[in-house]
Amino acid sequence: MPDVLPRIEACIPALRRYAMALLRGRQDADDMVHDTLVRALDRLHTRRDDGDVRAWLFAIMHNLFISRLRRHRLGASYAAAREPEDVAVAADQEGRLRWRDLLNALDSLAPEQRQVILLVAVEDLTYAEVAHVLNIPIGTVMSRLARGRERLRALAAVPEPARPGLRRVK
Amino acid sequence: MSEPPSCISEEALHGYVDQQLDPERRAAVEQYLQCHPAEAVRVADYRAHREGLRAAFAPFADAPLPPSLNLARLVEARLRPRRMAWRMAAAVLLGVGIGTSGSWWLASRDASGAALDTLVDEAAVSYATFVPNAERPVQFSAADPQQLAKWVGSRLNRKLIPPDLSAAGYELLGGRVVATGHGAAALFIYKDGRGVPLAVFARPTDAADTATIAEVDVGATDGCAWIEHGIGYTVTGAESYARLLELSKHIRAQARAQG
Repeated sequence: MPDVLPRIEACIPALRRYAMALLRGRQDADDMVHDTLVRALDRLHTRRDDGDVRAWLFAIMHNLFISRLRRHRLGASYAAAREPEDVAVAADQEGRLRWRDLLNALDSLAPEQRQVILLVAVEDLTYAEVAHVLNIPIGTVMSRLARGRERLRALAAVPEPARPGLRRVK
Repeated sequence: MSEPPSCISEEALHGYVDQQLDPERRAAVEQYLQCHPAEAVRVADYRAHREGLRAAFAPFADAPLPPSLNLARLVEARLRPRRMAWRMAAAVLLGVGIGTSGSWWLASRDASGAALDTLVDEAAVSYATFVPNAERPVQFSAADPQQLAKWVGSRLNRKLIPPDLSAAGYELLGGRVVATGHGAAALFIYKDGRGVPLAVFARPTDAADTATIAEVDVGATDGCAWIEHGIGYTVTGAESYARLLELSKHIRAQARAQG
């Protein structure tokens, strides 16, 4: 069996990025990553050897995120309840301003769409891996991705340099 | 060159944005987009958003990890509160999950690593104090090995028989009990035919077994150190590392044979 602990360790930065993108509060995000790691260590002996460690960890974190949503009854009102300074995501001010519209738009998506977009676009999971992590059919992954992307497009203008010659008027 | 496709599935467009298409399908999408400017704009927007999200969240993957997310500490924390027997059982259970190499990773990373460092430091002090140029290096001479073993056993609260290295050419001079920051320890001193001294330092420890014998610096001399069955050992002397490792394996085998 390949060394699983180093492989878990290598995934921690990505888990943290995903948790931060979902929750936006640094403390909340680190707590969720911590709980994911603890649960992963609990389940090491039940894990099948052939599975991908990264998808396995994201699946554990997804389950924690879902129970968290249920517990706090966050759902759609989650974005509104968040503290304003947590919305400022990127560490550097410039990045924050540059992507402000996009991140606000992301916040307004349903959590299911947000998750699919983040796992695909930021974490580079394949569509099949996302289906496994979220425990949904791959067709549902594709429809959430399509609807989420269209909504982002309706809400967030693409910055000028990324799309020369075209400007969306909101 | 085939005709540009008149229709491309939504799935393929996203696969194109996310770079999940094989070259053939990618080329087909590119051809399609050249003939459908509105779709090209849409795909460009998706791409730009994808890059924007990646850039916005990238700093969180680069940030230094807080101690609460240090995996070695999390693993160690699971073992720490338990008492010795439970601790070993837990290490075995965890070992089942993470495999032999994982156990080694764990042992080498944190718990036993730190315990071994402390042990070797203590051994270095004892060695420097009692072994070279000392008039009376031993409290109890090897003339009465039973008394030596009894004295060591009573001080350490553990049965600890001085290893027999006569087959390797080392004669036991005797031993003493030394004080450490972690309770009493035994220091056994040997000499070979040329009068070159060798010391075996041993004391009980709570730390988990090390999977291997480690090469260590014991003050100015080379040494070997390991932990097994709740006893930490350090072997040191003016010998090559290869020779010390050979002697260490010999000592470990004897301890195992004595159970």
